[in-house]
Amino acid sequence: MSAVDAPPAGRRFGAGPARPVSGRGPAPARRTGTTSDLHRRERRWAAAFIAPVVLGFVLFAVLPFCFSLYAAFTNWNGLSAPTFTGLENFRLMMADDYFWQALWNTLFLMIGIPIGLSISLVLAMAMNRRMPGRSVFRVIYYLPVVTSLAAISILWQWAFNGDFGLINQGLALIGIDGPNWLQEASTSKPALVLMMVWKGLGFSMLLYLAALQSVPRSLYEAAELDGAGAWGTFRHITFPMLRPVTFFLVVTNIIGGSQVFTEVNIMTPNGGPEFSTATIVWYIWQKGFQNLQLGYATAMSLVLGLLVFVITLIQFRLNARNSFSVE
Amino acid sequence: MQRRSFLAGTAAAAGLATAGCGNLATSDPNTLTFMFRGGLDERAAYTEAIAEFERQNDVTVNVVVTDGDQYDTKLQAAILGQKTPDVFYFDSGKLKAYAINDVLQDMSPYLESAGTAVDELWPLAVDLYRFDGEVQGQGSAIYGLPKDIGPFSFGYNRTMFEEAGLALPDPELPYSWDEFTEICQELTQDRDGDGALDQWGTGLNVTWNLQALVWSNGGDWSDESVTTVTVDTPEFAEALQFFADLQNVHQVTPSIAESQTMDTYQRWMRGQIGFFPVAPWDLSTYRDLDFEWDLIPYPAGSTGSPATWIGSLGIGVSSASRNPEMATRLAAFLSADPGTQELLVDAGIQIPNIRSTALEWAADDSFMPENKAEMIRIVEDYGRPLPGYNTYNAEWYTEFFTNIQPVLDGDQTAAEYCAWVQPRMQTRLDAANRQEQIDRGEFR
Repeated sequence: MSAVDAPPAGRRFGAGPARPVSGRGPAPARRTGTTSDLHRRERRWAAAFIAPVVLGFVLFAVLPFCFSLYAAFTNWNGLSAPTFTGLENFRLMMADDYFWQALWNTLFLMIGIPIGLSISLVLAMAMNRRMPGRSVFRVIYYLPVVTSLAAISILWQWAFNGDFGLINQGLALIGIDGPNWLQEASTSKPALVLMMVWKGLGFSMLLYLAALQSVPRSLYEAAELDGAGAWGTFRHITFPMLRPVTFFLVVTNIIGGSQVFTEVNIMTPNGGPEFSTATIVWYIWQKGFQNLQLGYATAMSLVLGLLVFVITLIQFRLNARNSFSVE
Repeated sequence: MQRRSFLAGTAAAAGLATAGCGNLATSDPNTLTFMFRGGLDERAAYTEAIAEFERQNDVTVNVVVTDGDQYDTKLQAAILGQKTPDVFYFDSGKLKAYAINDVLQDMSPYLESAGTAVDELWPLAVDLYRFDGEVQGQGSAIYGLPKDIGPFSFGYNRTMFEEAGLALPDPELPYSWDEFTEICQELTQDRDGDGALDQWGTGLNVTWNLQALVWSNGGDWSDESVTTVTVDTPEFAEALQFFADLQNVHQVTPSIAESQTMDTYQRWMRGQIGFFPVAPWDLSTYRDLDFEWDLIPYPAGSTGSPATWIGSLGIGVSSASRNPEMATRLAAFLSADPGTQELLVDAGIQIPNIRSTALEWAADDSFMPENKAEMIRIVEDYGRPLPGYNTYNAEWYTEFFTNIQPVLDGDQTAAEYCAWVQPRMQTRLDAANRQEQIDRGEFR
């Protein structure tokens, strides 16, 4: 096997010492009464520090989740007590074409995830080279990440304006009569994808850059000695070594992508032409807060949560199957 | 810092933060909370008005103000959390749901002692907030007072007419649709001769302007009892087709897909559009236009009578308020106090809620528009609330506009679309009416 070949699944790669296996290392020193007291005190303090976070999690995540489990099976307008209706909300959901349309729109917008990750990887590799002004470029690419999403949405809304928007002015320079991006059902989703890719580039690029800089030089040197070319080095060293970051970015991007709301609500306030940009979270908000159908909205949230959970679970399984570590 | 004091400080900070979350409702009866939304002009006017109210009544008013697009969500969250503000703005379309579910207080028992002459308000504006338990607009119980009354009027660019050598419109006689189309065609021009149009007859938005065409043509979104959707009638379809034809056949608007954008609004302000809607909340912005403009009735369809809608936001009192009497007094002060009204009218945000003041305002010809009486006519004679204002939710009404783009683009006829959308709207109207019955405890 060449040094640049990807290792089989589960195999340790590298020459570092093996990690001690639990139960086989040296036995811990016997605790004296003093250290035991100290441990107890430390534990109490540790519990005190952890308690607010746990309490916050229980109050703002576990309890609302439990309540939403119940509310999803009720007729609840958010103004008075919910009444149990069994599976009625889910039956309505199956017959609700806007629910399916919103789900499809949400999935479509996720097309931007692989596109964005690919571009940010290329950018990170470019930024990883010694080139003049790379710090400036890093800042430029990261700026959208720290800019208000509302401000960015308004900016892009203008950029996509059919008459005098920046995009169509640019297209006009090469003789293309651009569409009215956000007002046509066929172009509204691609327009949003473009904006979301642009917005997310900086964050992904930064993580990729950090990961690139932590790849051991020795691997590249070994590959060079074995005569690996640039593509081979990328395919068999860089890309596998970036797998944990890629996994993290894919998972967080999919979770984030399933919760898209602000940009849609600002750029296409009524769900876009023919409901073409209404995402599932936008539709949940619309049902719950505009139409006073919180029970139904909660049922949709539950389905969305389950979908995200299943997708994430599949990703974890796939990642575990292909994982390896370097020591 | 000692660990113990650090922890104590952290706990105190957390406690303060938690306490801060509860600022929407107060247990002190001498402290009221008022929640509203509005632009800078409105905020400034209300700040002044509330300071005056506090001075007159020896109470404290905590003001919670949000941007318009966040208001409904924040109010809903406050209601859910049983932290409903004592006094708050609400959409008149939510009155039924709020009244039936005991969110709003019937203000009528407290109005006589409220210290403000509510009976001088526009009767139509107050009737919007009456509810007898079944029908909105009826009964003696009043669940809100009008924050404003907004006649959605029609304006024209007088300077453009004069430059084109056209006779000015009659301020009291509406154009027929044919006349309106002809005038628009004459106004649509390439003024700088570069081969592209740069002036258009009109630029209307289907969401806000179709009502005038449909109603003046004898159509409507529903029957009087609001149980049957009636958008599939010939007169309705004819009005929608006329709207679409202005863009696709007569080409008197900037472009096909412009109807939902801000572009026509900006073109109107740049003097490129002949006819454009004018609402009271536009008056402050339109003061700075560098052309002369005025108001006329909307063009009328087969009935020959103009029509348009009237918007209104309500000021309600929470049924959970510890001091409903003082809360009602504050609502009445904001709605009907002459001093407060003067502040809001001077800011160009609204027309006066008090009828006598509004008539004086309309008679003042020292500022544009000259024909302010048109707004008064809309309020007194022919304006009506938007469809959906008196149903449990307006989902059935908004459904009409969700898939309308192919009609506006000329890809589908109005009649086809109306026939297609009617059952979809009917399903949603039935669901809204059913929900109302469930919440009233009549149907399970």
